[in-house]
Amino acid sequence: MRQHDPGAAGTQVTAGPPATPRDRRDRSRDRRAGRRAAADNRAAYAFLTPWLIGMLVFTIGPMLFSLYLAFTRYDLSSAPEWVGLANFERMFTTDPRYFDSVKVTLTYVAWSVPLLLAVSLGLALLLNRGMRFLTGYRALFYMPSLIGGSVAVAALWRQIFGEEGIVNKALALVGIEHTSWVGDPNSALHTIVILQVWTFGSAMVIFLAGLRQIPRELYDAASVDGAGALRRFRSVTLPMLSPLVLFNLLLSVVNAFQAFTSAYVVSNGTGGPSDSTLFYTLYLYEQGFAQLNMGYAAAMAWVLVLGLALFTGFLFLSSRYWVHYGDER
Amino acid sequence: MSAHATAPVRGPRQVGGPRRPGRPRRPLFGNRPTRSPLLRALVKHSVMIITLTLMLYPLLWMFGASLRPDNQVFTTLGLWGSDLTLDNYAAGWSGGDQLNFSRFFLNSLTITVLSIVGNLLACALTAYAFARLEFRFKKTLFALVIGTLLLPYHVTLVPQYILFNQLGWVNTILPLVVPKFLATDAFFIFLMVQFIRALPSSLDDAARIDGCGHWGIFWRVVMPLSIPALGTSALFTFINTWNDFLGPMLYLTEPDSWTVSQGLASFLDATGQSAYGSLFAMSTLSLVPVLGFFVAAQKLLVEGIATSGLK
Amino acid sequence: MAHATLRTRPLLGLGLGLLMTVLAGCGQSLPDHSADELRGRGDIAGGIRFSWWGSASRNDRTNAVADLFEAEHPGVEVRREAADFGNYFKRLNVQGAGRNMPCVTQLQARTLGDFTARDALLPLDPMIESGAIDVSDIPEAVLDTGRGEDGRLYMLPTGAAYDALMVNETLAEEAGVALPEPGYDWDDYVTFLRDAAEGLPDGIPATALRGGLPNFFIAYVQGLGEHMFDGNQLGFSRELLVEYWEMWEEIRAEGLANSPAANAEEPPSPEASYVASGDVLSDNRPGNALTPIQGTLDGQGEGQRMTSLPLPSGPAGQGNVLITSGLSIPRNCANVPTAAAFLDFWANDPRSGDTYASDNGAVTNTELLRRQLDDPELPDLKKRELALYQRIVADDPSIVLYPPGYLAVFESAFTRAYEDVAFGNQTVPEAVDTFFAEANDGLAR
Repeated sequence: MRQHDPGAAGTQVTAGPPATPRDRRDRSRDRRAGRRAAADNRAAYAFLTPWLIGMLVFTIGPMLFSLYLAFTRYDLSSAPEWVGLANFERMFTTDPRYFDSVKVTLTYVAWSVPLLLAVSLGLALLLNRGMRFLTGYRALFYMPSLIGGSVAVAALWRQIFGEEGIVNKALALVGIEHTSWVGDPNSALHTIVILQVWTFGSAMVIFLAGLRQIPRELYDAASVDGAGALRRFRSVTLPMLSPLVLFNLLLSVVNAFQAFTSAYVVSNGTGGPSDSTLFYTLYLYEQGFAQLNMGYAAAMAWVLVLGLALFTGFLFLSSRYWVHYGDER
Repeated sequence: MSAHATAPVRGPRQVGGPRRPGRPRRPLFGNRPTRSPLLRALVKHSVMIITLTLMLYPLLWMFGASLRPDNQVFTTLGLWGSDLTLDNYAAGWSGGDQLNFSRFFLNSLTITVLSIVGNLLACALTAYAFARLEFRFKKTLFALVIGTLLLPYHVTLVPQYILFNQLGWVNTILPLVVPKFLATDAFFIFLMVQFIRALPSSLDDAARIDGCGHWGIFWRVVMPLSIPALGTSALFTFINTWNDFLGPMLYLTEPDSWTVSQGLASFLDATGQSAYGSLFAMSTLSLVPVLGFFVAAQKLLVEGIATSGLK
Repeated sequence: MAHATLRTRPLLGLGLGLLMTVLAGCGQSLPDHSADELRGRGDIAGGIRFSWWGSASRNDRTNAVADLFEAEHPGVEVRREAADFGNYFKRLNVQGAGRNMPCVTQLQARTLGDFTARDALLPLDPMIESGAIDVSDIPEAVLDTGRGEDGRLYMLPTGAAYDALMVNETLAEEAGVALPEPGYDWDDYVTFLRDAAEGLPDGIPATALRGGLPNFFIAYVQGLGEHMFDGNQLGFSRELLVEYWEMWEEIRAEGLANSPAANAEEPPSPEASYVASGDVLSDNRPGNALTPIQGTLDGQGEGQRMTSLPLPSGPAGQGNVLITSGLSIPRNCANVPTAAAFLDFWANDPRSGDTYASDNGAVTNTELLRRQLDDPELPDLKKRELALYQRIVADDPSIVLYPPGYLAVFESAFTRAYEDVAFGNQTVPEAVDTFFAEANDGLAR
């Protein structure tokens, strides 16, 4: 447990003169506990006020509304009509495209998450220190992430993975002929995995910032103990970076399950060819905003939330064993 | 704010601190005691440059295409065509009375700057509470933070639109900006929580002994040490907001209030004439502010602890 | 803790209050229109919102027309909203949910059903009877494409597009094949492809693979005199679609078309299409794509020429149908008289016609069309596009009444089902069954 100064809580909102002599006198443990908790509570809710307002006004309402919609039929215009579990029934029994989208999404997650984490961590380590022109390299490596889901990406991806794209031109040089990679249902999804990994910059920046927070002294101490580079990585870098590994892992899984923009842009919103890039949220979007089955879309969303919540819960439980926080003693 | 000088730092988990003058550092460049470091550096840089060329080819191609006449944009896989022209930049920048990119850049910049300010303030406050304070319902509320991350945003789009419409906010930037000041983007709360938790709490204790309250600890200890986290958040907010299309598409319908991403989308239409040359030219230009911001923010990320930490 | 709860309670109340507002929003009341307003009578003043789809060049023309209208009616402000075709309708759906559609909303006959089924639009007939909107110069057959299932007019058709067979004349000449004669049928079409393939250089197929293009199939159905839809269900037989897709599979098997993978990656805009880059001989494209396609061909620098022909005919007559777009007034519009005046101005004012210059399909007003054809300034390609439109209208094209969900359900399922065939995932009869099940189920929702 951390030590708390009971008087501190009283001054948290005004940054005024912090401690009075009286605060310091009040140090007896038994009297402290209750007041400290109360003061911490007050302080915490003061800090949380903006978030609470935003939560209640902009987030919870629409979230609950969408939960309600999951049990209705709603065409965005007439009032929602209660249909019980019909949406879920349809999802699990009579909608083959739903399962296609689940399959596509799982494949995508399985490929893109490990690749993205490995590439971003590797490059973060490489670009952390020990080389000239690092700032320049970092900026250049980050550039692909800047373009994001821009409409230009679809055209660029065809230039690379299209029938007449540069990949096929390169393959032709060594005598291999191949059809379009984006247009072939067997490979279209993988081009989107590559697109995702290509924009690894955000995860890399998070790792880089984390690496910056590791005190050099820890490395020096480890070096003194005679640890080699690999040992230093395993016993200093990884543990110190673990909160951010957790963050990046969780976020890249959530993002991968919710992947939308890249597939939307590359397949021109269809999830094609032949549904091979029909991501879960792409299908959800099509159901909700094109076919106007918003109730069904909401049901799909909440099934995804349930799945992700299970995964997240498991991740947080396991994190006790492998994530190391600086506030732990 | 230079009160962080008051926090004495102790223990093995010391963060930052003055560089020990005698710390041995092997020079990678400079004196080159033997030939092998130079060789190694050469190899390293060559690998970097080759990887970069491969990675940046799409962007280089786009830049090259933006310099070709509009009807020759797709004629080559190479980077340069035979005729180079800046026509696409001129045509794209002000293709007509309503399509004026100086306007779009200004709009995007306004929204982006406000979003960054809002996100940093609101999310840092929230994250501090979750990372450093004990309070009732903490676990439940944090689960709620994570929970909002898990719901695909598409399903809340419609209720949110109805809400903003009732508030009379449609066709203003309020729906895009106000939520940012209320920490509705759980991603950044979570990010900052993870960063703040990684900071040794001995620093807080030290500050507390010196008489700092929570507000003081937040401003004088945690915030200065979180510069990398803040820089990261600012950078991501910049990119997300700059590239956001769906939000502006729904809420900023009149061309006067369009953002850059809407301007870019308006170059293409399946039912009429598209302008790929202008698209690539303006896409190239639209990367400039984000890249500039990255270069600027990188300093914060890299030098964060060393310069603004505890001296 | 006690004070924590105290702190959150008012917030919780506020949140719940807002949630109620959100829920109530769905039942938000619409403006009460007076009888006069419903007839488009009243002051032409104040502001209206006007939305359309298109890219930069069309936005400029549209803005110019709106400016003319503002100049004609001082004190009126037209606030403009544009987006590209795909995003336009998604946004419109969200705006519809908030009862916040623009007073003048551009729609397409193919999407009209989505909005009439939800009773989102005002009928225009009373405004026509009162004289607020003049339709006397619009051919009856064209006007009828704006009607709903109940026979009332919900969209004033302002532009009529059609699909055409785009053929690279230069490549055809080099291959030594004559263009299909007027009135050619599907057999002639396939023969044309076969003959052309013999003379074409390697790597240039005779056609883009278009078995999954709904508009092409519609021409096939019309030529046979069959019906596309029967209310909310498919109106043609399974056998007919099997026959059609088997024809395409034959075309594909003989190597007359490009590969399904190449086809799947083709960008939607005409400038970037294979026919525009001279990589295929022919394609089915909207008639107004002639200008952008020729533009890209010019950029290739080989001096190739593009021409457009009507789609193949059948025993029952021509296959071409008109794909009209037009303007509607939603029920949530609070300024109907001004909106009606805008519709009238758009459809009838000569300056409007000259300025817009049939950018989104041929102008439906015959007077305005004649002016454009007589205009020496109008580019030749545009004139050829308009002339072909005249030919198609003169042949009395049949009208398809598109059910709600046509674009989202029918078109998406049709394209996908044929892709499954072309990629070898399903046989033609299997794909037809899948398609029928999906389309009938989706359209019935």
